Amino acid sequence: MMGMSRAGLAERWPLFAGAFVSVTLGVALVQSSLLLLISAATMDPPAGLSAAAGMEFSDNIAAVVSMLGIVLGIATFLAGFVISSTFAFTVAQRRRDLALLRLVGGSRGQLRRLLLGEALLLGGLGAAAGVPAGLGVMAAQEWLLRTLGFVPAGFHGQWREWILAVSFGAGIGLAVSGAAVAARRASRVRPLEALRDTGEAARVMTVARWIAALVFLGGALALVIIAPHGGVDGGAAMAMNVPLPAAIAAAALSPLIVPLVARLLPTGAGAAGLLARANLWDARRRSASIAAPVIVLIALIAGTAGAEATFTVSGIDQMRRQTHADFIVEAPGPIGARIAAVRGVATASTETSVPATIVTGHGEDQESDTATALVIDPPAYAKAHGTASALASLSGRSVAAGPGGGVPSSGSVRLKLPDTALVELPVAGGVPPTMSGGANLLLPPGIVSPALLADAPTQSFVSLAPGANADSVRSQLSRIGKVSDVDTWLRADASSRNSTSNKIMLVIMGLGGLYALIGVINSIVIGAAARRREFAEARVTGLTRTQVIRSALLESSAVTVAGLVLGGLAAAGAVIAAVASTSAVTGRPALSLPWPLIAAACAVALLVTAATSLITSWSATRRPPVTLLAARE
Amino acid sequence: MTRADPAVTLRGVTRVFGRGSAAVRAVDEVTLEFPRAGWTAVMGPSGSGKSTLLHCAAGLEGVDAGQVLIGDTDLTAAREHELTALRRTRIGFVFQSFNLIGSLTAAQNVALPLRLAGRRPRTPEVRETLAAVGLADRARHKPRELSGGQQQRVAIARAMVTRPEVLFADEPTGALDSSAARVVLDLMRRMADAGQSIVMVTHDPLAAAQADAVVFLRDGRVVDRLAGGSAREVADRLAGWEAAR
Repeated sequence: MMGMSRAGLAERWPLFAGAFVSVTLGVALVQSSLLLLISAATMDPPAGLSAAAGMEFSDNIAAVVSMLGIVLGIATFLAGFVISSTFAFTVAQRRRDLALLRLVGGSRGQLRRLLLGEALLLGGLGAAAGVPAGLGVMAAQEWLLRTLGFVPAGFHGQWREWILAVSFGAGIGLAVSGAAVAARRASRVRPLEALRDTGEAARVMTVARWIAALVFLGGALALVIIAPHGGVDGGAAMAMNVPLPAAIAAAALSPLIVPLVARLLPTGAGAAGLLARANLWDARRRSASIAAPVIVLIALIAGTAGAEATFTVSGIDQMRRQTHADFIVEAPGPIGARIAAVRGVATASTETSVPATIVTGHGEDQESDTATALVIDPPAYAKAHGTASALASLSGRSVAAGPGGGVPSSGSVRLKLPDTALVELPVAGGVPPTMSGGANLLLPPGIVSPALLADAPTQSFVSLAPGANADSVRSQLSRIGKVSDVDTWLRADASSRNSTSNKIMLVIMGLGGLYALIGVINSIVIGAAARRREFAEARVTGLTRTQVIRSALLESSAVTVAGLVLGGLAAAGAVIAAVASTSAVTGRPALSLPWPLIAAACAVALLVTAATSLITSWSATRRPPVTLLAARE
Repeated sequence: MTRADPAVTLRGVTRVFGRGSAAVRAVDEVTLEFPRAGWTAVMGPSGSGKSTLLHCAAGLEGVDAGQVLIGDTDLTAAREHELTALRRTRIGFVFQSFNLIGSLTAAQNVALPLRLAGRRPRTPEVRETLAAVGLADRARHKPRELSGGQQQRVAIARAMVTRPEVLFADEPTGALDSSAARVVLDLMRRMADAGQSIVMVTHDPLAAAQADAVVFLRDGRVVDRLAGGSAREVADRLAGWEAAR
């Protein structure tokens, strides 16, 4: 049987090359994301940092770690999805060969062992290539993280010996489990199917596929329904997770929907269009395999980016509604007294941001979380941010829960500031969490030492006295710090938030998106490899080579568009969840879609499928059709 | 077992495709014996159910009613793994499209059933089987490097390597030109003379005339038989049944 495996390998190399590439890149992506996550999580602050800078450093690292956690999650999801669907496709493409083996006396067990043995071999080889490739991917991801300013210049992912076990385990495990379902199905192929191309082979919507589709569709709907009840953080997390189950459900249903959607598209009159439409319907399995990675690609990019943009714009809206001030002054250190002394200033809420650590639990269970504390003047803060009643009792040594959430609004909190010992402080209320987040804790003046406040970043929200000359006040304030009017400040704040969220999207989606694209290319190459004969038949029927290539191009473009539509539907689920969450949290629904990004992703998917389809069908029709038809295997 | 025992026995075999008003009785209560060490051809107009009959007789297709026996083994009662074992040891197949595995050489294709049966094929065994079909010098060629007639002879060698009780052939000359068909038919004649039981479906009177007996099928039923007829007689009989439709 192994000899047969080897011979099969040589003959059907595009199939196996596709499977190999999917494992190699999947393993590389998972390995790199995991190593970077571990390296970031165990990173020590550089020596010689002040206590405050040290806390800020850990705060940044915590943010990077949670982002890399998402990167790892997406990488693992994509690897599992692309590898298992590629292996299943390679098995489906050889159905006739497998039936033939059954015909000459191969048992079900032998077929299963042959396919699983193949998956084991390819998974192992793919992982062996994926480990060094992972180092290349890690260099790329490191470069991205450094360039976008998420990690300090000296950050490097570190190699761990045990990663070998993880990489080989992941490569082999995903390959074998991807092939397992397909192998089980293929082993039940009836010998008679070797003589026909129809029958069971035409039935792609299997029971397992229906179950997967309904379970994941249910999961996605549940997330959409529950998200508005999840509060600020829960709602965002749930909305961002909708694309994963929604994409799986859409991919599982794709053999049913892709041909339907694709047939609605104009493929033009003429022989090429006719052939393309017929093939779309006839080769549902192939169409679905090409559409699946497209669905995942668009669902992830459009869904995650759309939800993210919606939350960002909702946060900005909410902040615009809650901010009651004429000017905002930004400067380091205690500027409150100087601002209050400016003639024409009615009130000023001066807020200084300091890093803090919140400690929960005792003894062995003790955990500390980095947080941001804002030193405020409670009455002025209440006036500038419209939170009157919430902060009424804030004075002395009591604190309040801030708009960033994460702190209960009653009881007490154990707090460590950079230059003080751990203290337990009563929590006297809090402001409701906002979409855009912010400080976790609000502190009255007096708790934080003047030394710590000396050059901490400070913002002051200034309201003018009635009849005051705005220009003159502004020019006086500009001697204290950078002055902006509220609109300019909100716009600057919004664009910085947008740019941060775009950078996060780039880190999370960049390489994952490329990998999904490679999955698309894989499917087209594998599909075309089995089509030489079909193309030859079309040519001897009278189609020119150009018509055959055009027909293949039309077909794959129609499938891609159908994949984009389905991916768009999955993404819409995430965006709907995001809109419902913003409405529940802020009272007003918000919606923002990053059209340039979505358009770019669609264009890239279309271009890549068109180019791959052109190249593969051109290469598959290079030999004169007669040479292929004369010798039937 | 003696020569008098039939190689294959069909008792009241019925196979229906479709349901309700669209149901077609492809094989309709056929009772038939294919003799041991004899070559029987099954003929009939297209759509007469001859291929379905062959598939049922070989255990490739289930039956809706009736019984199929190979020797004294009841195929209709056999489980999947028993059918697999049967295909490995007691049944051989040859088809119109040769169905060789394109990535394997002629010798590897021939050795495949032995490998699947868990045996290590001995080189002489495979070489002899290929020599018996006149292709000893083509052992290392891949199917695409062989002519249609040569491919069909490799397929016959593959079917014969396990020394099956019955060889089932579905239009074995259907894809061949007349001279290649002649070579294949002569080979099958020699096999039958040497004691091989062969059941062959064909629409070619020249091929059917090589067999010991011809069974005519129409609308899923056996309507006629002819033993030792010439190609001319077979053709006339077939034309009669086709006209009677």
